[in-house]
Parts: sequence; structure tokens; C-alpha cells
Amino acid sequence: MVDQQVRLPAMQADVAEVLITEEQIRDKVRELGGRITADYRSTSVTLVSVLKGSLPFMADLMRAIEMPVQIDLMEVSSYGGASTETSGLVRILKDLSSSIEGKDVLIVEDIIDTGLTLNYLLRYLRGKNPRSLRICALLDKPARRLVEIHIDYLGFTIPDEFVVGYGLDFGEYYRNLPFIGVLRRELYETT
Amino acid sequence: MTDQTRFAHASEAELARILDYYGVHWEYEPRTFPILWNTDGKVVESFSPDFFLSELEIYVELTTLKQNLVRRKNRKLRRLRELYPDIRVKLFYGKDFRALMLKYGRFDLAASLSGLEGQLMPERLAQPSLAIAIPAVPVAEAPIDTAQPGSVDPVEKPAQPVKPARRARPSRGTRRRRGRRAFIAEDS
Repeated sequence: MVDQQVRLPAMQADVAEVLITEEQIRDKVRELGGRITADYRSTSVTLVSVLKGSLPFMADLMRAIEMPVQIDLMEVSSYGGASTETSGLVRILKDLSSSIEGKDVLIVEDIIDTGLTLNYLLRYLRGKNPRSLRICALLDKPARRLVEIHIDYLGFTIPDEFVVGYGLDFGEYYRNLPFIGVLRRELYETT
Repeated sequence: MTDQTRFAHASEAELARILDYYGVHWEYEPRTFPILWNTDGKVVESFSPDFFLSELEIYVELTTLKQNLVRRKNRKLRRLRELYPDIRVKLFYGKDFRALMLKYGRFDLAASLSGLEGQLMPERLAQPSLAIAIPAVPVAEAPIDTAQPGSVDPVEKPAQPVKPARRARPSRGTRRRRGRRAFIAEDS
């Protein structure tokens, strides 16, 4: 706790502006949870979170859904260029723990920008024959979209800025910021 | 597929590698769209988007950070959309691609894959992942430090004022043709 109190102000100083406040996130998550509850109330839903960025969103969203839910976690490798990848192909680093065949599945994502990762995940999960497959994303950054993807439940559309916080990282840091902020440009331009 | 294609720009090679990584099928400049004709009906201007993602039915065009080129490309794209309203083209600006590289933790490439630097990309010469057959643009010769660690230059030479060499700028078409010969991406 002491460590958190010391570190948090330092992280906040690296943020040029707060794009979405903690309160705005809380309200939006509650709203999304209500919509998901209404849409799935006659059935049940399996939330599939994509690590690591969507972890805080998943944790809050599942508690905003007022019906029985199952959860599962997945992690896929991210493109890091030829120098860091041996196979040159995306890999499932953590697969689903249980079958989703015949189930209603909701993918929970923190942010969609190019849509490449989600496009890959959709193809992969469709192959597991769920009854339905929908997407819930907290953030949509359409400026960089390469693959058009229909987002069933969307929190916020954001401008093309480098954002951190609430699960989103830069160099694996800033994920624990309670808000979503724009990282100061000089921090990544000088890296 | 990346290893068989000659790209005009390093950022195109990198995007091809990203698409390969995520299993998205692509074709490089598969189609040229005429966008301007003279009074004789001869095509005087055309547009060849860099990539076609066939499964997604979308063309992707990358731009550099050079503003004059961006303006020209924006104009061409507007014309393309007027003439071919059913064709979907995504214009990927240099800053978008740079941001994408930052997202993927490719800080080195974020700087080197922009604008003219992307065409020269000297540091990428050392990477086994990309081989360059012919320099895309004549590279100004940088002074080479031949001194070995610990060696001493016996005579201290007076500093000479450096006069930048001026050369006529080749046309865009020439630069692009040169560039196309230059970049051969190889899968590592």
C-alpha cells in the first residue's frame, strides 16, 4: 500500500491528460453490465477475457452483470517483429480452460485498434463452435483499423492517442492507473 | 509470401510481416486504378494501393510522414473514391504506422520506418530479417570511423567545414521504381 502511494503520483505525472476518468469508466461499465444482463437474461454467458490488458475491465464488468456468468482467460502473442519471434505466426499463449461448444460467448477486450488480434481470435473461437460469439470492448480506436469488426458492446471511442491505464500498458507499466490517460509523448519518443 | 515480394518502402515490408503474423492474406499492389485521363482518353494518372486484403475486401495504402506526399495521396484517394465508390481503401498514415510500431514495442522501427529514413533504413541493413538488393536512394556517404579501440590518430587534422552535397531530386516515379527494386523482405 505504501509502495502504491509512492508510485502512483509518479505514474500520473507521466500522463499528459486524463482521457476517461475513473468515474466515467465506472458508469460505463455499469451501463454495459446492465445491457449484457438484459440481453442474456434468458440464458447464461461465458466471458472470455484477453490477457493482459482487459483484466481490470473484466473484473469490473463481470461484477456489473447481474446473472450467472462463467469466465475464462486467453492470451495470444503479440507481434514483436522478426527479431523477437521465431515462428513469425501468432500463438495462443493461454488457451481456454473449458469447452465453449454450444455456449454463448462474449469476448471482453480492453481496446480494439487494428482489429488484427481480435480477427484472429474470432476465427479461432468460431472453430470451437460456440452457440453465439459477441464482442465487448471498453475502447475503440478506429483510426488504425485494418480489419472491420462489429463491436456489440462498446464503452468509448477514443482518438488516435497513445493511451495507458486501466489495464493498458506502455512497456508493461501503467496498467494499474485507475483512469485512462494519454501518455506524454516524450516518454515514448525518446525510448 | 513476404520473402518473395519486393516492397517500395520498409514500412510496407513490415506491414506485410504483421499481416502474415496474424494470418491475414494479402496481395501487394495487385491492381492499378486509372484516376485521370487526357482528352485522347489516355490514362495520365493512376493509383495502385499498396495492399489488397482479399478476405476482408479492403485495400490498404501506407503513407510516409512527408506532408506533401500525404496531400497528394489524399487527393488521389478522394478521386479514387469518386470514381470507384465500391472500392474500400484504408489510408494508413505514417503517424498511425509509427504508433502501431510503438504498440508492438518496436521502438527502433518506430523511428526508422518513417518517411525517407524508412527508404534508407541503414540500421535495418544489419538485420537478417530484411535484405536489401540495391540502395533505394543514393545514400550520402557518412564518415567512417576506422579507428580501433585504443588506437591514436598520429596527426590531428584541422576541422573542415562540411558542405552538404546537393543533387537533383529524382522524380517520385523514379524514386518508387528504385525503391521497388530495393527492398526484398525475407522471413527470418
